[in-house]
Amino acid sequence: MKRARSIFASAAIFVLAALLQGCGGGEQHPLNTITTKSDFARWITNLFVEITVLDLLVLAAVLITFILAIFFFSTRVGNPAPPSTTTSDLRVEIAYTLIPALIIIAILVPTVRTIFRSQPYLPPKGSLQIEVVAHQWWWDFSYMDSSHINTANELHIPTGVPIRLNLESNDVIHSFWVPQLGGKRDVVPGQANELTFTASVPGEYLGECAEFCGESHANMRFRVFVQTPEQFAAWEKAQEAPPGTIPASETAAAEGQKVFENSPCTTCHTISGVSKGYIGPNLTHFGSRTTMAGGIEQNDPHNVAEWITDPNQVKPGVYMPALGLRGTQLNDLVAYLESLK
Amino acid sequence: MAAQPKPLPLEPRNYLKGGGLIGWLTTVDHKRVAVLYGVTALFLLGIGGLEALVMRLQLWEPNNHLISAHFYNEMFTMHGTTMIFLVLMPLELGFFTNFVMPLQIGARDVAFPRLNALSFWIFLVGAVLMHLSWIWGGFPNRGWFGYANLTESYYSPGLNIDFWDISLLILGVSTLLTAINFFVTMVMMRAKGMSYMRMTLFCWAMLVTVILVLLAFPALTVGLLFLLLDRFFGTHFYIAAYGATPILWQHLFWLFGHPEVYILALPSFGIISEIVPVFSRKPLFGYPMMVYSIILIGFLSYGVWGHHMFATGMGPVADSAFAITSMLIAIPTGIKIFSWIATVWGGSLRMKTAFYFALAMIVEFTIGGLSGIMHASAPVDLQQTDSYFVVAHFHYVLFGGVMFALLGAIYYWWPKVTGKMLSEKLGKWQFWLTIIGFNGTFFPMHWLGTWGMPRRVYTYGAGLGWTGLNQFETVCAFILGFSFLLMYINLVLSTARGEDAPADPWDGRTLEWAVSSPPPEYNFANPVEVEGRDAYWLMKYGRGGAREAQMFAEGKIPPVPQNMQAPPEKPIHVPTPSIFPLLIAGCLFMVAIGLLIGWWRIMEIGGGTMFICIVGMCLEYPKWGEKSHNLDEEAPHSLGIDLRKAGLWTFLGSECVFFASLIATYVVYKSRNFGGPGASILEIPLTSGSTFALLMSSLMMVLALHSIEQGRVKWMRFWLVCTMALGCVFLGVEAFEFLGFFQKGLAMQTDLFGQCFYTLVGTHGVHVTIGVIWLGSILASSFRKNFGKSKALSVEMVGLYWHFVDIVWVVIFTLVYLMQQVKGA
Repeated sequence: MKRARSIFASAAIFVLAALLQGCGGGEQHPLNTITTKSDFARWITNLFVEITVLDLLVLAAVLITFILAIFFFSTRVGNPAPPSTTTSDLRVEIAYTLIPALIIIAILVPTVRTIFRSQPYLPPKGSLQIEVVAHQWWWDFSYMDSSHINTANELHIPTGVPIRLNLESNDVIHSFWVPQLGGKRDVVPGQANELTFTASVPGEYLGECAEFCGESHANMRFRVFVQTPEQFAAWEKAQEAPPGTIPASETAAAEGQKVFENSPCTTCHTISGVSKGYIGPNLTHFGSRTTMAGGIEQNDPHNVAEWITDPNQVKPGVYMPALGLRGTQLNDLVAYLESLK
Repeated sequence: MAAQPKPLPLEPRNYLKGGGLIGWLTTVDHKRVAVLYGVTALFLLGIGGLEALVMRLQLWEPNNHLISAHFYNEMFTMHGTTMIFLVLMPLELGFFTNFVMPLQIGARDVAFPRLNALSFWIFLVGAVLMHLSWIWGGFPNRGWFGYANLTESYYSPGLNIDFWDISLLILGVSTLLTAINFFVTMVMMRAKGMSYMRMTLFCWAMLVTVILVLLAFPALTVGLLFLLLDRFFGTHFYIAAYGATPILWQHLFWLFGHPEVYILALPSFGIISEIVPVFSRKPLFGYPMMVYSIILIGFLSYGVWGHHMFATGMGPVADSAFAITSMLIAIPTGIKIFSWIATVWGGSLRMKTAFYFALAMIVEFTIGGLSGIMHASAPVDLQQTDSYFVVAHFHYVLFGGVMFALLGAIYYWWPKVTGKMLSEKLGKWQFWLTIIGFNGTFFPMHWLGTWGMPRRVYTYGAGLGWTGLNQFETVCAFILGFSFLLMYINLVLSTARGEDAPADPWDGRTLEWAVSSPPPEYNFANPVEVEGRDAYWLMKYGRGGAREAQMFAEGKIPPVPQNMQAPPEKPIHVPTPSIFPLLIAGCLFMVAIGLLIGWWRIMEIGGGTMFICIVGMCLEYPKWGEKSHNLDEEAPHSLGIDLRKAGLWTFLGSECVFFASLIATYVVYKSRNFGGPGASILEIPLTSGSTFALLMSSLMMVLALHSIEQGRVKWMRFWLVCTMALGCVFLGVEAFEFLGFFQKGLAMQTDLFGQCFYTLVGTHGVHVTIGVIWLGSILASSFRKNFGKSKALSVEMVGLYWHFVDIVWVVIFTLVYLMQQVKGA
């Protein structure tokens, strides 16, 4: 029994240590839901903190009475008094009905207020509207302002401007979630859903699909770049332009463009001025993106080559076929894609 | 076949003894059926646990390639489905309620013993079928709530979703039969003096639970039926391109699914309310409050399903409404927790393993309930839903709340079930390991969720700060797994060679402790009379408390009172064993597997044999049309209604929800219909005629019943033939009408109107057809020798069903036909 106790004691210490380690700073947790980088996220966090405090108070009250009860009335401790035969006590019963009711009211009022505040029926004035289309397993973003940019898996937005996302699905139900910018919203086929928020802090925020959407649900990630209005304007301008100049002949990139033009790539992918395909992500400015394949890998020549060789290896179940490109053809194609800044 | 039950020997025989393998396969004894459920569910618990461990191993490190995405998806789907439908529900309803409830209310068996056996075998078919899809290309892999439209054949072409769908339908049938059975048992078969407010809290919890089952499962059945039609016949119930919405599935599923949470949780509340008073040696605190809070929870559980759907974009009004109703549930739940604590307070606690688990459940469930309040706050839920936070929440509810209660129940009732005491030493070891393993596995998930880890991901990226806690959880999950291994060892070793259990090892308060351990085959030798709450406590201690204090001071448990040990005064009739439940389930298996893999021959053979078996089972009933078995022939709580009639009423209550779901779908989808001929195709004059025929048939039915009550069999036959003829006229017109619609180009697959119309009206037509067959069987049996006044009940029952089907038609006729011209309807 002694040995058992020491095992339990060391296990308990292990648990405590792990939990304490868990509490440490939010910086190494890029998907933290309680670091608030937008108004929407801030409202939720305030509510979360309020409920957590009330919850912990209730839990403490329950635990303390509980431990006291076990301590006082356990037959192991001291001499057992004969048990009481009380079956009810009106004051106690009224108290334990009323107090929870009051706590509930204290939670409900800010809850309902936040619900209405965070779901404006119309887009706020001066908001930037972006159409988000979810696909198995990547994201398509179209800017509904004058720029008409179409891009994939990397969303750029300015700070201080209300953002209105119009969410649509191309296939099954997905869920758009950028924890640091606020709550998630399901993307439902045949239903127009919206998400409204104003980002406040520039930075790079990770997002992910939060509704199970098939085999590669785990690989349906994306990034949101929150930029100052000036940076954002510059980015938008660059994206509006065609993808640089046509590569000089004889270079690898120029050869790669021919490979692209003559391959089945064009049936699915758009490159402005080269091809018009709507099944896969728009590649017009592919080289300017930091990540690829639904945000699961860094965008570098090695990864791109690996992806083209066997997409299914990287993202199980993906609809893009392996085209059997090898050797120089493959390298040229990669060089071309990377040149699309 | 119709053997009369033979009187049992007067000396009590342990229910586990005798009969051999055949005895177990043909048993209808509620205690044996319970053991069958228990063994199956405990085996499946092991499987479900192993599936969880596979998942934990895969999540050990970022970008792990231990198992494939496909296999991981199969694992979490099977883990959830198994634990909810194949472990927790069967352990609660099938095992503990089946075993304990009839004993606690002082009954000889459940109301319908053969139906009880049938429930078990059908459950087994569902459980086996769910796993068999592995042979045809893999386990189901779309999550336990299988959101449409991902489950449509375009996105899930394999057979595995078909297996999932049909297995769940079969399990639903099994659960529904059990619920009808238990409902009638608890309402009508209580011992003399056992008024509702003297019932044990466990029975109260189960009474509300089975009502929830009756009114919730039909919604799931309808949802699964739509999916089946979509996958097999090309309809579009969940496909947005045809104007439908995949959200319909979520409404139907959670309309079932949230009551389901309470179908799982209420029994565990009942279990805790049994264990806590016994080991505190104190009556339950606030019994009436406990009863009312259970009823309130059951009632509220129907109005909260939307809190599973806050992220789907229901709009701020619906979000607020569901947030309010969801939070209201916290009040009755709080009442339960505080009442348990008040029960413990001032008691004299005996720290046995069962009590350990009960106390732990109160704390763990409180944690789960408190995080539930966060989810009820819609904005907070938008961050937490579909993240590991919600995984932590429902494991605290379903493991910390339900499984802990079940572990307590195992340690509490195992001596009664097997007659052997479980090892306390192994039990305490298991308890502490379970506590460490459970909290270590699931508490850190609150952090993972807060750090943004979504659920159902087979892998995650590096550098997200999730690795450490995931590894810690995996280690703890294995500790948890080991603790369950200890439990299995304890169960096997103690049952094989543990010490014998006395009738009343814990100084119990309720009637099951008044019979020997294990109980005799017939439960109670003589009718029991109940004098108050805590019936057995009053029997052994009497009122006043003097004997109680004396025995407490001496530290003794009083022996079972003499009158409870007296030999039976009258010969005992227990229900006769029957092979038909097993055969019918076997045939059902053939039909299901034939349908699934397209082996039509095996389906035909199975279907034909099943029909023969059902007829056989009907004819087998030894006292056909007469009084049923009941311990107390006075049947003090029967309200003068036959058990079977009460069972039929209960079933019809459940049918109301079934038709309501179909009708609601029709109404919603009709307004979204586009393309196709639509409702303008309906011909009111023709259908008015057939409606008239159907309504007239109800009149004929009344006349038939009147005739048999007067003993005029020939007239009854005449009116029955008239009823059937009018029913056939109705069906004929319906067939003619359908044919006409087909020719005009309205098929089931044409548009939303077509699929809803054919499903609703067709389902009703199937009900009419079953009614006609039933009428025919009564007609045929009226040529048996002893048919007369005494068989009026059979006619009355088919009449009840027939009138119900007619009333449903009145609603359908009004909504579908008459209102088609009303604008916007």
